[in-house]
Amino acid sequence: MRQSSKNRNRVLSWLGLLPFLLFCLAFEIVPILLLLRDSLFTRAGELTAANYQGAVAPLYLRSFWNSIKLSGITALLGTTIGLVVGYGVFRWPSKRVQDSLIALSDVTTNFAGAPLAFAFIIVLGSNGLITQFFLKYLDIKLYPEFSVYSLSGLILAYLYFQLPLMVLLIIPAFGGIKKEWRESATNLGANTYQFWWNIGLPILAPSLIAGFVLLFANAFGAYATAYTLTGSKLSLVTLQIGFTITGEVLHEPGIGQAMAVLSLLIMGTCIAIYQVATSRARKWTRG
Amino acid sequence: MMTYLELTDISKNFGNVVAVKDFNLSIKKGQLVSFLGPSGCGKTTTLRMIGGFEIPDSGTILLADEDISKIPPNRRGIGMVFQSYALFPNMTILENVMFGLKMQHKPKKEMTSIAEKVLDLVRLQNTAKRYPHQLSGGQQQRIALARALAIQPRVLLLDEPLSALDAEVRVALRGEIRRIQSDLGITTVYVTHDQEEALSISDMVVVMNNGLVEQIGTPQEIYRKPDTRFVATFIGTANEFHGIVTDSENVKAGNLVIKTSGLHNFSIGSEVVALVRPENVEVFDQKPTDSMVNVVEGDVDTITFHGAITRLGINAGGKMITADVTITGRNILSYHQHVWLSFNPEYCKVMAEK
Amino acid sequence: MMGSLKKSKPSSGQIFIVGIFIFYMILPIIATYIFSIATRWDRTILPEGYSLEGYMEATTNPYFFITLKNSLVLSVASVLVSLFVVVPTVYWVHVKLHSAKPLLDLLMILPFGIPGVVLALALVQVYNFQPISRSPLLLTAATVVFTMPFMYRSVSNNLAAVDIPTLTEAAQSLGANTFNVLWRVIIPNIFPGILSGSLLVFATVFAEFTLARLIVGAGFKTFPMLLVEYTRKDGTIAAGMSVISFTIAWIVSLLILWASGKGIKVSRESIGAR
Repeated sequence: MRQSSKNRNRVLSWLGLLPFLLFCLAFEIVPILLLLRDSLFTRAGELTAANYQGAVAPLYLRSFWNSIKLSGITALLGTTIGLVVGYGVFRWPSKRVQDSLIALSDVTTNFAGAPLAFAFIIVLGSNGLITQFFLKYLDIKLYPEFSVYSLSGLILAYLYFQLPLMVLLIIPAFGGIKKEWRESATNLGANTYQFWWNIGLPILAPSLIAGFVLLFANAFGAYATAYTLTGSKLSLVTLQIGFTITGEVLHEPGIGQAMAVLSLLIMGTCIAIYQVATSRARKWTRG
Repeated sequence: MMTYLELTDISKNFGNVVAVKDFNLSIKKGQLVSFLGPSGCGKTTTLRMIGGFEIPDSGTILLADEDISKIPPNRRGIGMVFQSYALFPNMTILENVMFGLKMQHKPKKEMTSIAEKVLDLVRLQNTAKRYPHQLSGGQQQRIALARALAIQPRVLLLDEPLSALDAEVRVALRGEIRRIQSDLGITTVYVTHDQEEALSISDMVVVMNNGLVEQIGTPQEIYRKPDTRFVATFIGTANEFHGIVTDSENVKAGNLVIKTSGLHNFSIGSEVVALVRPENVEVFDQKPTDSMVNVVEGDVDTITFHGAITRLGINAGGKMITADVTITGRNILSYHQHVWLSFNPEYCKVMAEK
Repeated sequence: MMGSLKKSKPSSGQIFIVGIFIFYMILPIIATYIFSIATRWDRTILPEGYSLEGYMEATTNPYFFITLKNSLVLSVASVLVSLFVVVPTVYWVHVKLHSAKPLLDLLMILPFGIPGVVLALALVQVYNFQPISRSPLLLTAATVVFTMPFMYRSVSNNLAAVDIPTLTEAAQSLGANTFNVLWRVIIPNIFPGILSGSLLVFATVFAEFTLARLIVGAGFKTFPMLLVEYTRKDGTIAAGMSVISFTIAWIVSLLILWASGKGIKVSRESIGAR
């Protein structure tokens, strides 16, 4: 008697989740699944790999390569520089200053998009503030070798929001390195380098991997900054997919879909690695 | 005094796990009854069933002859004090205490006067305008008690109310809880894993283990006349002598022949264990006269000072025996000293070896 | 803190590194602020003159207020939908259906793995029928999906810091029915989380360009879209609009800090950041 009412309670409980599940299905899960399905079929309705073949044709392959290059470089720079900056912030003696620096990072990492791109044009454009500074005071001509509208400009702009993201991620990771470990290592004869090499960095490693992967995904999926800064000059995956929607480029919509699915695979892999890395990091620094 | 709260054949399972089985208890009005046992023994589950936060799988709960099993927790008229105090962080102390009265839609004047009275009772009148996080743990628990008392509940339930507090605060607060309970004459069920707590404040103690009731009795009965092996060893400490019944009075345990006050319930040859509490073991620094019974000799192995008493661990030919003594100026003992122990057959409790 | 010595001053290396970091972060922002009030700034380090003409010209453009209104409406709508969809669900799972938490966590990670363009593409192709095709409604759904994780994290952290089950039982033992429990005990105690989450969603949606441009486009111009137009037309006005965006973001960040600061004082460690 009581067992069936318990089961009924359980079913009713799951029912409470229904509105949310329906929302996710309708606007997230089902559209993505349909996207996947459509990418595997031609307009006539036949199963095909043509879209994917088209997506890796030289023209589009270049955009993948650019996106990967951009994401990889900004992730690498962001991780390494962010590690150093993060340590500097972490070890700052005044808590007030530390909190303000963390708040600053919190705010600036969300500053991606058009305003950021434009700010970089002001600073590093052909008549930009820094450009002029280099010209007038250091006698260095940045242009035309460098252009803020090129890949290198984009890297600098992306770095603007990648760096604080890494700083925010790595500071708690430093916090997870217990004081007692450093003390017992010193007690057993290790100097600073030995501590970091044998204990500190290995403990940080999962967080570093998690950070790198997150930064990579962050850059790979970005659109607004690149769009504002480069328009259609530089070929990136997100921009190409955007063109598919707005119809600015004439190609089979299937190719756009294939590119979208490939992007999801890349992002999905990043997220999976991120989850594994963070749970490993948490395990080590908990006990 | 008539039975006020009655639990009959209460059982509760969580999936495959038996939490409580065949629980029977009658509580008279105004009594303070403790549920005592180790973690997982079912005491909290039973308490929560009285409060209405768990539904028994079988059995009935009668309060003043009324079956309350089907009544939801917010209409049983039962006050509850939680281990974590559970004061509402978003309300002041006064608002917390008045909460139950507000739910009863009492007029503002009445609410305030009852709340002030009850804050008086726990001697925290001047905290009314403060917030919970500004109070210490002990103060928060007293407010939680005041809040539960404000609604004048028919039964008061306390779920390990002192476990989260410092030792000193615990001792002081448990006395206060008992005082208030006794003054108000409110029927109370008190869950704890601390036997000293249970023994010091209860009218009756229910000892539980693995979902079953081991024994119900007054603190004195539980301590002096344990019914089961579990109760004997859970309450206080006891020396255990494992052996065989040789005749109507004696148990042979290793080299020792233990004289008891009567073994009529046991057949000759049955395996038993004889239990003797440390305070009933006398210690002599010289061989006692032959007229003394149950004499064991050994060497002092450990001496632990506990203030009023000193606990000795004596190695008697490989077997460790614990004895509690009061050390006066004349009988200082030292390590490895050879001593003689003896205990009165009256204080020897024999139970079947399970 | 690591290290055995309690330092009172930062080392020179620290000052250098952190200093460069701060410079890198702040310079573009300050440059934008100055650019918006500069008359001419393409030949010198500092502007040749200052004027508020850019702002005045911006406000004369009818599109300025239309896009501002659109963005505000979109942001508020996203917050409301997010509140209705996410908050009850988080509470329900936390209290009644804990076994569903892994599922909920997974669903809340998903949006991070979907780039804006991909979501836009998928939605536009699936919902290509009237009345929802290329409409602000579809856009709102997209922004809610995108910002769900923020509302979730904020409310979820707050829930974890407050012992909901015990408070619920305490309130029930004092005679409160379901409504009273929710209204007088639960909601006041998770309000800071709800507030922080709402502010975060508001700020994120206000600044959102990708979804707005690709899903609706010219039919529902948002503030960021106008900004991008001006970056190609008139730099000063574009800078002015950037200033407005920055300022709104700053204000919201401060409000979020204030909201989580006024949160329930249980213990400092248990209140999640962000």
